[in-house]
Amino acid sequence: MSPRQTTPPTLTAAQLQARALAGARRAAMLRRMRRIRRSVAALAAALFSAAFLAIYVQLASGHDPALVAAARRAAATGSTSATGASSTGGSSGSTEANGTEATSNTSSGEESTSGSSGSAGGESTGAASAVTSSQS
Amino acid sequence: MTTMTLIHTNILATAVAPHLFWITSRAAGVAALILASLSVCVGLLMGGRLLQRRGPDLRVTHEALALATLLALVVHGLALLGDSYVHLSLGGIAIPFLGAYKTLWTSTGIIAFWMLALLGLSYYARGRIGVQRWRRLHRLTAVAWIMGLAHSLGEGTDAGQAWFLAMTAIVTVPAIALLLVRSLGGRRERLPARSEPRAARAEKTFVTANPRPR
Repeated sequence: MSPRQTTPPTLTAAQLQARALAGARRAAMLRRMRRIRRSVAALAAALFSAAFLAIYVQLASGHDPALVAAARRAAATGSTSATGASSTGGSSGSTEANGTEATSNTSSGEESTSGSSGSAGGESTGAASAVTSSQS
Repeated sequence: MTTMTLIHTNILATAVAPHLFWITSRAAGVAALILASLSVCVGLLMGGRLLQRRGPDLRVTHEALALATLLALVVHGLALLGDSYVHLSLGGIAIPFLGAYKTLWTSTGIIAFWMLALLGLSYYARGRIGVQRWRRLHRLTAVAWIMGLAHSLGEGTDAGQAWFLAMTAIVTVPAIALLLVRSLGGRRERLPARSEPRAARAEKTFVTANPRPR
């Protein structure tokens, strides 16, 4: 019984060169993969940050679509109810509401919370209270 | 002047603070839509073999974009849990038709997310599924992406905004064009084979396999 040979087969110079080339190519590919992954991660972070900043500024400046729509609806509700009570007071009330709708969104956190996200019926109630407080 | 600016900034910060979860969710949704559209574009370029020499790079880019999309979608959903207006539960953001807030559009988004997650992550189990079967299944990702697009246009707070529509058009039009090219190209490739009657094809195969002895 002959002992098993564990020594690696001797490689020719061409084979060694080919192995080195393959290793270099593999390393280059891995580097490129890492670079692509990092770029995509950076792109995702940049996109999120840009969108966050844009929406934040839009909301803080009182130009948020949901809040503006809610305030408009609230103003319309306020003017309708005020017209029902007295014609003179109603017209002045609606003017005030229109003039202060952006302020009511930005000045009081509680008011804007109640009329914040989405455009369902609940927010018109909150925004209506904001208009009422601005009227008083 | 500086004091006034400081006061103004404080007022703004106070007003925006309760909406941070909502802003986070919206921003993550916007990021997810862009990333998903880019991922679909790269996937179609890769599958359509339009850029054959860049195959490995495209595969890595597609994979990274898909994973980033899934992460952004998870943030998009989880951030809604903290929003004080919609009051969604974990079930409401994970199970379709459970929440009360704009049920149809929300459910469309949830289904699209689960489809994207399952079809995307199944890449890592394609050896078990079978590569051909996985490829056929993976085509449904385009359907999930279209559902996500419908969700963002139907329910998104910014859907009516010019910047959002412009941004959506920039990222989705190339993807839709590539999708059309791919589906029409695929159909055209398949048509000649199907135009041949089945019996004639079967006969040809039989004759090739068993040549008549002379």
